[in-house]
Amino acid sequence: MKIQIKKSTILIGLLLIVGFILPRFAGEYYIHISVLVLFYAYMAVSWNILGGYAGQHSLGHALFMGIGAYTSTYLFTVIGLTPWIGMWLGGAFAGVIGGFVGYLCFRYGVKGPYFALVTIALAEAAVYIVTNIPSIGGAQGLEVAWTGNAPQLMQFDGKSGYYYMILVMTIIAVWLSSWLIKRRFGYQLLSIRENEDAAEALGVNTLRLKIQATVISAVMTALGGTFFAQYFTYINPRAVFGEGPSVQILLFAIIGGIGTVWGPVVGALVLIPIAELSRGWLGGTFAGAQILLYGTVLVLTMLFMPNGILGLYHKFLGKFQNRQSDGGKSEAL
Amino acid sequence: MVFSFELFGQAVVTGILIGGIFALISVGLSLIWGVMRIINFAHGEFLMIAMYIAYFLVAKGGWDPYLTILITAPALFLIGIIIFQVTIRPIIKDPPINQIMLTVGLSLILQNLALVFLKADVLTANTAYTRMNFYLGGVVVRGSQLIAFVGSALAAFILYWILQKTDIGRAIRAASQNRDAATLVGINVRSTYLLAFGLGSASLGVAASLMIPFYYTSPTVGLFFGLIAYVVVVLGGLGNFIGTLVAGLIIGLTESIGASLLPGSLARVLTFGIFIFVLLLRPQGIFGGKQK
Amino acid sequence: MSLLEVSNLRRDFGGLTAVHDLTFSVEPGEIVGLIGPNGAGKTTTFAMLSGFITPTSGEILFKGTSINKLKPHQVCLLGLTRTFQIVQPFPDMTVLENVMIGAYTHHPNTVDAKKKAMEVLERINLAHKAEEQGKILTLPELKRLEIGKALATEPSLLLLDEVAAGLKDVEMEEILELVRQLNREGITFLIVEHLMKVIMNLSHRVIVLDFGQMIGQGTPAEISKNPAVLAAYLGKED
Repeated sequence: MKIQIKKSTILIGLLLIVGFILPRFAGEYYIHISVLVLFYAYMAVSWNILGGYAGQHSLGHALFMGIGAYTSTYLFTVIGLTPWIGMWLGGAFAGVIGGFVGYLCFRYGVKGPYFALVTIALAEAAVYIVTNIPSIGGAQGLEVAWTGNAPQLMQFDGKSGYYYMILVMTIIAVWLSSWLIKRRFGYQLLSIRENEDAAEALGVNTLRLKIQATVISAVMTALGGTFFAQYFTYINPRAVFGEGPSVQILLFAIIGGIGTVWGPVVGALVLIPIAELSRGWLGGTFAGAQILLYGTVLVLTMLFMPNGILGLYHKFLGKFQNRQSDGGKSEAL
Repeated sequence: MVFSFELFGQAVVTGILIGGIFALISVGLSLIWGVMRIINFAHGEFLMIAMYIAYFLVAKGGWDPYLTILITAPALFLIGIIIFQVTIRPIIKDPPINQIMLTVGLSLILQNLALVFLKADVLTANTAYTRMNFYLGGVVVRGSQLIAFVGSALAAFILYWILQKTDIGRAIRAASQNRDAATLVGINVRSTYLLAFGLGSASLGVAASLMIPFYYTSPTVGLFFGLIAYVVVVLGGLGNFIGTLVAGLIIGLTESIGASLLPGSLARVLTFGIFIFVLLLRPQGIFGGKQK
Repeated sequence: MSLLEVSNLRRDFGGLTAVHDLTFSVEPGEIVGLIGPNGAGKTTTFAMLSGFITPTSGEILFKGTSINKLKPHQVCLLGLTRTFQIVQPFPDMTVLENVMIGAYTHHPNTVDAKKKAMEVLERINLAHKAEEQGKILTLPELKRLEIGKALATEPSLLLLDEVAAGLKDVEMEEILELVRQLNREGITFLIVEHLMKVIMNLSHRVIVLDFGQMIGQGTPAEISKNPAVLAAYLGKED
C-alpha cells in the first residue's frame, strides 16, 4: 500500500508543532498577540457554523459571548464556582437561548438581512437589560478577582496557561467544524445556504437543522465568552454584548473566507498581528485606529476579494472552490 | 417613582417631538433600503458626519443652526453619492452578506475616523434656540424640539412630494417596484439608485441641522440613531412613506413614555422588543409595505 | 389503492381562488400529465402536493396517508419528491454533492449517500461531471441534475415541473427517454408541461385544468378531441 501524505496534512502538522512550542520562544507580548489570534479564530469558527455553513448571518453573536462571559463570571464572583464548570453552564444557557431565538426566527421564516436585524436587536436589548441589573454589575460590569496562579479556577500566572487553553479550544473547534462539514449534517447545512427550497424538497428538515446550527454556534461562542472574561479579567455590557464584539466575532470569517473550514483561522492569523503591531507602533494616541483598520480591510475585502483570502487563494490556484454564494439568484442589473 | 399627569403629558409631548426627528432620519433609510434592497448599516454614521458639520458651523463659524441646512443637506447628498459610487455600486449584485458587511465596514470606518480625528468628546452646541421653552400647563415644550418637529415634517413632505410628483421621483418609485420593468421603459436604474442614495443621505443633513440645538454630537451618536432608523422602517413597513412617519412617532412615544415609567435605560429594551416582535410576526410592518 | 388521491382540493390567496374543488387520482406506474393555460392552477397544485403550501380545504392522500399538513421534507420522506420549473441546483456544491443531498434522505451515512449518488449520476449521464460545481453546468445538464437530485431520494411518485422547457429537440428526447425508463422501473410520474408534444408523447393519461378546476381527463388522444378542453386550452395555445 502506498502511503500518501497530503500537503495539507503536513501544513496542519507544522502549525500544530509551532502552536505548541511557541510559548517557549516568544515573549509575553507575542504570546498575547497569539492568544488574540487564537481567540478570534475560535470565535469566527464558531460563528461560521451558523453564518458560513448554514448561511444565516447573525450580526448579534455577542449575545452568546456575553451570556457565556456573564454566567461563568457571576457564578465565580458570587458563589465561587470555578469557571471550568461555569463555562459549561454558560454554554448551556446560551444553547437554550440560541435554540429559542433560532426557533422563533426560523419558525416565522425570518431570513437574510432580517435575521441579521433580529440578532442585532437581541444583542442590543441584552446590553440594556444587563446594564439595568445592578446585582450583576450594571453598567460597571464585573471584575474577575485575581486569586493568584490557580489553574483549577482558570487563572494562570503568565500568559502561557491562557495560550494553551485557547489553543486547545481552537483546535477542537476547527476539528469539530471540519468534521461536521464532511457528514450529512454539514452537507445539509450547506444545501440550506445554497438553496433552501430545493433542500426542503429533497427531504432536508431545514427548520430543525437551522435551529441545531444556531445552538451549536451559540454554545461554542459562549465558551469563548468565558475565556474572554478570564483572560481580560473584566467584562461590561458593551464589551461583551455590544456591536463591537458582534462585528469582531464574524469579521475574521468574512475576511478569511466565509463558509470554509480554515477561512476564519486564516482571517484572524493575517489580520490580528497587523492590527496589534500597528497599534504598538502608533502607541495609544489613536483610539479607534485598530477598528478603523478593520473597517477599511472589510470594505476593501468586499470590493476586491468578495470570497475572502481563501477565495482569492483558490482563484490563483485555478481551482476556484468558493463556498460562498448567493445561490445564483442575484439578478442582472 | 411618582407618576403624575404632568409627567405623562411631558413624556407624550417630548415623544411626539422626538418622534418627528426619528421619522425624518428613517425616511432616508427607507428610501435607500426600499429602492436598492440594501440596508445601509452606516446610515447612523452619515447622520453623525452631518451633525459634526452642523456643529462646527454653529460652534466655530457662528452660523445660525437652521441656516446650516444649506450646507449639511448638499454636503450629505454629495457624500452619499460619492460613497455609493465608490463602494456600494460595485457590489450591488453581490450576495446580501457582502453588502451587509460592506456597509458595516463603512460604519466602522466613519465612526473611528471621527474617533481618531475628532476625539471621543461629547460636543454640545449652545445656540439661541437651546433654552427657548414654552409652557403648556405643567408641560415644558422645548422650542428647539418644536422647530425640529415642524422642520422634519416639512422636509419629509418635500421628499414625499419629490417622490410622488417629479419625474425623478417617479423613476425612483418605478425602479423600487420592478427593476427590470423600469429598465424596459427606459429608466436608467443606475442613476436612479444614485439619486435615491443621495436624497436619502441629504435628509440626514437636514435632520442633523435640526437636531444640533438640542442634541449632543459624538463619534458614536450614529449607533443609536441607526438602530432607531431600522426599527422605525421595519415597523412602518419597508417603502411605506406614511407608515414610516407614524412609526417614527410611535417609537418616539415608546422611548419617552418608557423612559418615564421604566427605571434606567430599560425603555430601550421596549423599543427593541417591538422591533423583534414586528420582524417575527409582521415583517411587512404594521401598515403594510413591500414583501421582504 | 391509488398512489395519490386528491379530493376537493382548494387553495385561496386572499380573495382569489387559485385551485377550486380539484379531484383526481394517480395510479401506481402511471405517467400523468397535468396541463392547462397559464394561471390554471398547475403550479399551486404542485406546491400543495409537495408540501410547499397548505391547502385551504380538501384532502391529499399519498399511499393512503393524509399529507395536507406535512412539510416538504416530510412529504419527500414518504416518497413524493418534486423538481422545480426553474432549475434549483446548489450552485457552489459539486454535482456529486448536489445529488448526495437527495441521497442522504434514506442514507444518513456519507459513504452510502455518496455511493447512491454516484449510481444516480450514472443513470442521468452526469458521472463525468461529478466533481464539477453545480453552477458551471449547461441547461440540459442542470435539467438532468434536477431529476437526479430528486431521484436520489428514491421516490415512488416524482412530480416534474416543466422538465423539458428550454431544451432543444435532441436534449429533450434524452430527458423523455430517461423518464420513460424510470417509469418502467416502477416510478410513477405526475408532470406539468407547457409543450403539448411532450405531454402527448409521454403521458398515459392527461388531466386538464382551467381556472383551478379539472375540465377534462383522458388519454392524450381523447384529450386532443375533447371540445371543452379545446375551447379552454388548446384554443389559447400559441
